Amino acid sequence: MFESLQHLITGFTIAATVHNLLYCLIGCIVGTLIGVLPGLGPIAGIALLIPATFGLNPTSAIIMLAGIYYGAMYGGSTTSILLNVPGETASVITCIDGYQMAQKGRAGPALAIVAIGSFIAGTIGIFGLVFLAPPLAEAALAFGPPEYFSLMVFGFIVLSNVTGKSFLKSLMMAIVGLIIGAIGLDPVSGDARFTYGSISLLGGIEFVAVAIGVFGIGEVLVNVNQPSELLDQKVLRPRLRELYPSLQDLKKSVGPILRGAVSGFGIGLVPGPAPVIATYASYMIEKKVSKHPEEFGKGAIEGVAGPESANNSACQAAFIPLFVLGIPFGPVTAIFLGALLIHGVSPGPLMISQHPDLFWGVIASMYIGNFILLILNLPFVPLFANILRIPKKILLPLVILFCITGMYSVNNSVFDIWMMLLFGAMGFLMRKWAYEGAPLLLALVLGPKMEVAFRQSLMISHGDFGVFVNRPISMVFLLATAIFLIFPGVRFIFKQLKKGGI
Amino acid sequence: MLRKIIIGLSLALVLFMCAPIQAAEFPTKEVQIIIPWSAGGATDLIFRALGATTGKYLGEAVVIVNRTGGAGAVGYTEAMQAKPDGYTLVSAITPLTILPHRVKTAYTYASFEPIINVVKDPGMFLVRSDAPWKSLEEFLGYAKKNPEMITVGNSGTGGGVHLIALAFEDAAGVTFNHIPFAGGGPSVTALLGGHINAVSVSPPEGIEHVKAGKLKIIALFSEERFEMFPDVQTVKEQGIDFVMGQWRGLVSSKGTPPDVVNILHDAFKKGMEDPVFQKNAKDMAINLHYLGPEAFGKLMAREHELFGKLIQKMKK
Amino acid sequence: MAGTGMFPLILGILLMFLSCIFLLKLLYQHKKTTTKRDSGGEVRRSPVQLILFFGTMVLATAFFDKLGYPLASFLLLAALLRTLGMKQWTLNILLSLMTAAASYFLFVHWLQIPLPKGFIGL
Repeated sequence: MFESLQHLITGFTIAATVHNLLYCLIGCIVGTLIGVLPGLGPIAGIALLIPATFGLNPTSAIIMLAGIYYGAMYGGSTTSILLNVPGETASVITCIDGYQMAQKGRAGPALAIVAIGSFIAGTIGIFGLVFLAPPLAEAALAFGPPEYFSLMVFGFIVLSNVTGKSFLKSLMMAIVGLIIGAIGLDPVSGDARFTYGSISLLGGIEFVAVAIGVFGIGEVLVNVNQPSELLDQKVLRPRLRELYPSLQDLKKSVGPILRGAVSGFGIGLVPGPAPVIATYASYMIEKKVSKHPEEFGKGAIEGVAGPESANNSACQAAFIPLFVLGIPFGPVTAIFLGALLIHGVSPGPLMISQHPDLFWGVIASMYIGNFILLILNLPFVPLFANILRIPKKILLPLVILFCITGMYSVNNSVFDIWMMLLFGAMGFLMRKWAYEGAPLLLALVLGPKMEVAFRQSLMISHGDFGVFVNRPISMVFLLATAIFLIFPGVRFIFKQLKKGGI
Repeated sequence: MLRKIIIGLSLALVLFMCAPIQAAEFPTKEVQIIIPWSAGGATDLIFRALGATTGKYLGEAVVIVNRTGGAGAVGYTEAMQAKPDGYTLVSAITPLTILPHRVKTAYTYASFEPIINVVKDPGMFLVRSDAPWKSLEEFLGYAKKNPEMITVGNSGTGGGVHLIALAFEDAAGVTFNHIPFAGGGPSVTALLGGHINAVSVSPPEGIEHVKAGKLKIIALFSEERFEMFPDVQTVKEQGIDFVMGQWRGLVSSKGTPPDVVNILHDAFKKGMEDPVFQKNAKDMAINLHYLGPEAFGKLMAREHELFGKLIQKMKK
Repeated sequence: MAGTGMFPLILGILLMFLSCIFLLKLLYQHKKTTTKRDSGGEVRRSPVQLILFFGTMVLATAFFDKLGYPLASFLLLAALLRTLGMKQWTLNILLSLMTAAASYFLFVHWLQIPLPKGFIGL
């Protein structure tokens, strides 16, 4: 362990050279700009800029790309808070309380706590990476198809009612999300489902289209539907004092940030859309742990601090499988894999021993990147918050242009824009009739993977359903799900019995 | 009056902005390669490496876009519909000539304009180093006694390595239990975790782990042994006359003008010969096999025929 | 065994099931509470603005490819601003123009994001 510490210090000396610091800075700035545009997430940003790194040595190149990655994460939360437009998939949860805070004139504290929370979580994450990487990577391998399925079922059931009051309605939204997720080619057998012969639907409906549609466009439409007088207004004028978190805010956020960091890190090890799941889970945890759960959904700062911290540490944890096993667990790490290859470094079990400079240099620069972003973003908070001073009449069309541009940039597809509009209309109705969007999006993300894991498990076990309970990890998750579902019922029955008096 | 002037000027400005930019030589912006498979798989890795080195010879960046789904159907369909202006290429690999025989797709290899072939790699089976089978003989022996019991992962139903595994079943007279995954990366991960017994891949998938000693090659479907692993015998040497692999090249949509094809071809060829790519290729243990547009076109046509017959035979 | 259609089938059944429960719940509640007016104070507003707004978005999307990004974004902004009640055309056009231009230069020129070129060729 001390060896690791020594290596880390070496890493810092590498990362802290003027050159590398500059690259990190450039990466962070560009990343933030890219992240702010909805849809164009870190993936596209990193991919766009890989060519710019050609002339650099591998370490500097990866440092810059990592900066872009983080910057994009930050940028994504900015639009979620200010405009209810999720900058990218993991920012969806931030929309819920973050936007409400902005509506109450507290955009500043929200933005700031995102920066602060991410920084702290990043620090914790780095330590986790340094000291726990190899054993965690091995643990991640223990997850096979049955474990994924049970984990996802657990996550799905538990997280479906993360927002809103009616469990029933949330479940219905979740199922709708699952159905939308089933549109397209069946990943296991290759047959087309729900496509009605349309080639555009073969690939399924783009998640970003649904997310921006339901949240962003839906919100805009709700606003447009208000009487004209309201449209001349701006969102409350933030006063300078109120631009930064108060002491009370900070006190309230400590717990969520720490909890988010730890839980996010654990969840980040699971392959697939880990950061998204981490944000939902953190929100859930904070809601359950809080003494004032009714504040959630109306602008509780815990609902922003926790998920954003979880997001950050999940992103860090995602690098573990890449660096230790050489296998990317998600699209972003896959791009990093490509970038590494291009610079002549083959990630895998041998990478750390063969290229210690690179590995530790990158780890150190991740930390530095976090720090740079904190310094960059805090002063910008007032600037961003002032965006809300623009009268709604002008702001709303801008948001629409913004969303359309971002949407198109994901796949160069006008069809995606149509989908976004369609889900925008749906989002409007959902808002009117009090149906929650979060469960739908969660289902859209988890559903296809759940189904694949289910069928893979059955194929491996030759149709034996016992495979889900015979394996310890899988069993644990299924039991947890069962307990979660039955518990309220049991409690209800208990109460009735007590009332009736036996 | 002032208002009218402002409006007028503004409109003029709009029109001015819209004046067409002088047409420049190809390429004037980045070139996209669509990869119909997930990031981290063999095709993805190879073309990312190639895209990186080709960028400077082309004068514009080469960007990789993953478009997964349906054993390639999603990515190929999209590429087929792209404008034939040379800015959208797609990685043409063996499944391009397989899938159209299995399902009714909107495309076949003939819907594309061949540009260049890059690699031709053999298929292989990997198992964990601690697997109970120490040799191909033991592996097949077990398989014969326990039909459909050995789980063999692949990168997707109907994909290249899946078919290689099916064809190998035929040649060796055994049956396996095929488990599809969303790409080469996840299938190797599942093997590492011990959730499946073996995996059907082609380099560079899994190579790093063989180098590190965690996985070993139990069956190699090529004519000659690997330069990097000279101790591994091919199945041919061990009595099963089976050689099958995958080719990977680049194509663009039909109708791309010949001079654009040439520019692309020349740039990618130089990218292949670039020392950085050569080193990457060696590290990934992939077998470079350059073919020009005509030869590549003929290769695809031949494979299309071959798989047509194979699929007919396999349609039980 | 676990075929392609299984999952959607299960989902469909679940959805029907939940909808039934929901309906039952609604009917039960409806019987319990007397019909009270929906929360008073909801201003009656005509949906015209909303329809115009959404309609503009639809039109812009339909012609997005043909018009090309700069022109489409300019027209979209101008139309949306007007829909929301901005009647002074000078301000409207100026704002839309500047924004469309800025957005064009930022995204197409600087970040090099591929956006449609349209018949004008930008």
